[in-house]
Amino acid sequence: MLELRGITKKYGEFTANDQIDFSLVKQEIHAIVGENGAGKTTLMRMLYGMEEPTSGDIFVHDKKRKIQSPNDAIGLGIGMVHQHFMLFPSFTIAENVVFHHEPRKKWRYDRKKANQEVEQLAKKFGMEINPNQKISDAPVGVQQRVEILKVLYQGAEIIILDEPTAVLTPLEVKDLLNSLRELVKMGKSIILITHKLNEVMEVADRITVLRDGKVSGSLKKEATDTEELSRLMVGRELQKKQLPKVTSGKAVLDVNQVYVNDSKNKAAVENISVQVHQGEIVGVAGVSGNGQSELIQAITGLVKTSAGKIRINDHDVTNHSVRQIRDRGLSHIPEDRYLWGAAKSASILDNLIMTDYRKSPLAQRGILNKGKIHSYVNNSIKRFDVKASSINTSAQYLSGGNLQKLIAAREIQKDTPLLLAAEPTRGVDIGAMEFIHEQIIEKRNNGDAVLLISSELSEILALSDRVLVMFEGKIVGEFDRENVSEEKLSLLMAGGTYE
Amino acid sequence: MSKMKGHISNIIQPVFAIFVGLAVGTIAILLAGESVFLTYREMWEGAFGSLYFLSNTLERSIPIILAGLGVAFAFRAGFFNLGAEGQLVMGAVTTAIVTVYLPFQGFLNLVISIGAGMLIAGLLSFFAGWMEQKFQINLLISTLLLNYIAVLFAGYLVSEPFRDTTSSGGVAHSVMVEDASKLPKLLTGMNVHYGFVLAIIITILLAFIIKRTTFGYEVRMLGQNMFFAQYGGINRKKVMFISMLISGMLAGLAGSVEVMGMHYRFIEGALTTPQFAWTGLMAALLANSNPVGTAIIAIFLAALDTGALGVERNTDVPNAISDIIQAVLILFISAKFTMAFIKSKRKRGAK
Repeated sequence: MLELRGITKKYGEFTANDQIDFSLVKQEIHAIVGENGAGKTTLMRMLYGMEEPTSGDIFVHDKKRKIQSPNDAIGLGIGMVHQHFMLFPSFTIAENVVFHHEPRKKWRYDRKKANQEVEQLAKKFGMEINPNQKISDAPVGVQQRVEILKVLYQGAEIIILDEPTAVLTPLEVKDLLNSLRELVKMGKSIILITHKLNEVMEVADRITVLRDGKVSGSLKKEATDTEELSRLMVGRELQKKQLPKVTSGKAVLDVNQVYVNDSKNKAAVENISVQVHQGEIVGVAGVSGNGQSELIQAITGLVKTSAGKIRINDHDVTNHSVRQIRDRGLSHIPEDRYLWGAAKSASILDNLIMTDYRKSPLAQRGILNKGKIHSYVNNSIKRFDVKASSINTSAQYLSGGNLQKLIAAREIQKDTPLLLAAEPTRGVDIGAMEFIHEQIIEKRNNGDAVLLISSELSEILALSDRVLVMFEGKIVGEFDRENVSEEKLSLLMAGGTYE
Repeated sequence: MSKMKGHISNIIQPVFAIFVGLAVGTIAILLAGESVFLTYREMWEGAFGSLYFLSNTLERSIPIILAGLGVAFAFRAGFFNLGAEGQLVMGAVTTAIVTVYLPFQGFLNLVISIGAGMLIAGLLSFFAGWMEQKFQINLLISTLLLNYIAVLFAGYLVSEPFRDTTSSGGVAHSVMVEDASKLPKLLTGMNVHYGFVLAIIITILLAFIIKRTTFGYEVRMLGQNMFFAQYGGINRKKVMFISMLISGMLAGLAGSVEVMGMHYRFIEGALTTPQFAWTGLMAALLANSNPVGTAIIAIFLAALDTGALGVERNTDVPNAISDIIQAVLILFISAKFTMAFIKSKRKRGAK
């Protein structure tokens, strides 16, 4: 049906897809799995004509094709169900399905015929819908069915689904997987993009694993299991650091039965309790997108919790402002350094003083002290080895590793009792990674508490005294440093169970 | 080193824009069949040629500088205040009414009436900020539309309840300010008044606030990356309210000093026809919202206007020449924004 040969996509220096080979045969479900940022979405965008590959060829029905727009893709029988639905909320289901290919009576829209056609189509593939229902009144699971019907109505033979279960409840997931099996029985072929391995194991025939833009494995379902898949997804070498014993003291951070809702009012964090003590690094492992971001934002005051208590050094800081929480002794390396961690167009100096600009000696009575700031900033970049031509250079000219060191400098050297480090070394070079790891360990050895949240298993294993695993907003496992292993963690991270 | 580079590119951009503007003006002059050299000399003469013309130019620059600083300050915090015109007019009409009704005259009257004008203008701008916070009404739209309300309301005030009925006919205006309460002229017989000194002081003050105070730091960081600012504990709501308030007050001050130092009354249309607020916006944008740069460019734009009057007096080139040059500058500003937009889009695509 479909074949990709040596597909490479580069954005400037960055290679999003590197020499990817992939094939899809008729009536199969081929899953593409990988962590966020592994290049799944880029690959699909190229298939659907939203991006063009830098090199490599796409064959559809054994003919080499150039897909330059979604219209080309639809013409070749390729349809895509996007992660974020592209529907008109005020239109009915039938109207959404036939949109752009409406049946007409002369020059008017033929509502009756449209409703009939859509109903028949749905019945044919065993999906239940009411064609006259408005999208805004339909539950998410139904909206997704409408997306699939839309693609089918356009005559697609190959259907791409991008993270289709991310927004669904467990019951809706079951329905969706059933529909997929039905579609295959009726002769369609499906590409399923996801990072949820249990769903893959349930429904896929073949599985291609992407890691860092490359294919790290292409397997038949029968020949593999979730454990192997997660190793292929995450797999990096681990060097366990020597952590000198520190007698851990009292709890600095106490998160007690916290719930957080995401922007769609779905529970993103459910009933999470974590305690971090003095002289302890607690690692939270998990595939990104399982509620870690929401947990971080709740602890740091960037979003409100819907239930539960958060305490720092016995002071209640639940739903306090960011400033109040920081003044209680939290420092925070954010998970996205460009979004949260820095202002790219501002100077290194401005970026470094963010957490201390109000305090003496950097400022007195609201006036910034230029001299003190200069010596403070110069000291910091020297101590944290930030390589820059001048402290007035804007932050966008720093490499990722250097900017991350700058953020680490700002947050670690403050000597706060609590550090929340989220993905502290994501996408930085080995040198910067080693350096930041050493700084975090040193902070722990000084008797401060560190909550480390990372989707990088090697990082979790190298640094943590204790490891928690997060999956779908819940904590599904807890291990001491002595009896944790990569196998156990990756199994839990993928939603498996471990006895 | 890189700081120098930044400074130079900040200066080169507007200078280049102005240069191209003058070049396009040259074409227009040629089309009008006049000598380019002569026309530009007349323009220079009309703007700076004598103490009298210089004083006219500086007087004209006062409201442009102040309104421009107001726009620049809000813009630094990441908020687009398109309502300078309405704020300027509300400030002016409030001042014109308060000064007449205060039971005493003199310096105190001047201070109170200008303060009242600034307060009302500031509240108008604050109101737009409040609506953004409360109802998510886009600031661009609310500030822009409030202009119509403010300008028409001010027009009503001097047409009906506060109309000066002693003079007959003509444009609606308010009662004359008492001599004792007027903002004095810098030089007798010249137009330029103490508002100019005030504008320069405020320029320097604003530059200091932005660069050297913790509040200025908060404003800059919020303008450069809202998420980073929030992550660092900056209260977006508070900074927005304060910066919108200050922005409106400065625009209001522009109108108030024009009333107390130049017209001595509120005359309907006298502050909107010369486009003070919009020219101020242009100055702020050309100067990248740098206060000192805004003031310098505001003086240049004022000179363009007064110079064009000189051109019209002494040559056959109409004073629309100033509009043509300004139109090119606007083109440059929008091109700059489009470029920034395309760049940011490209970057996002690469992610």
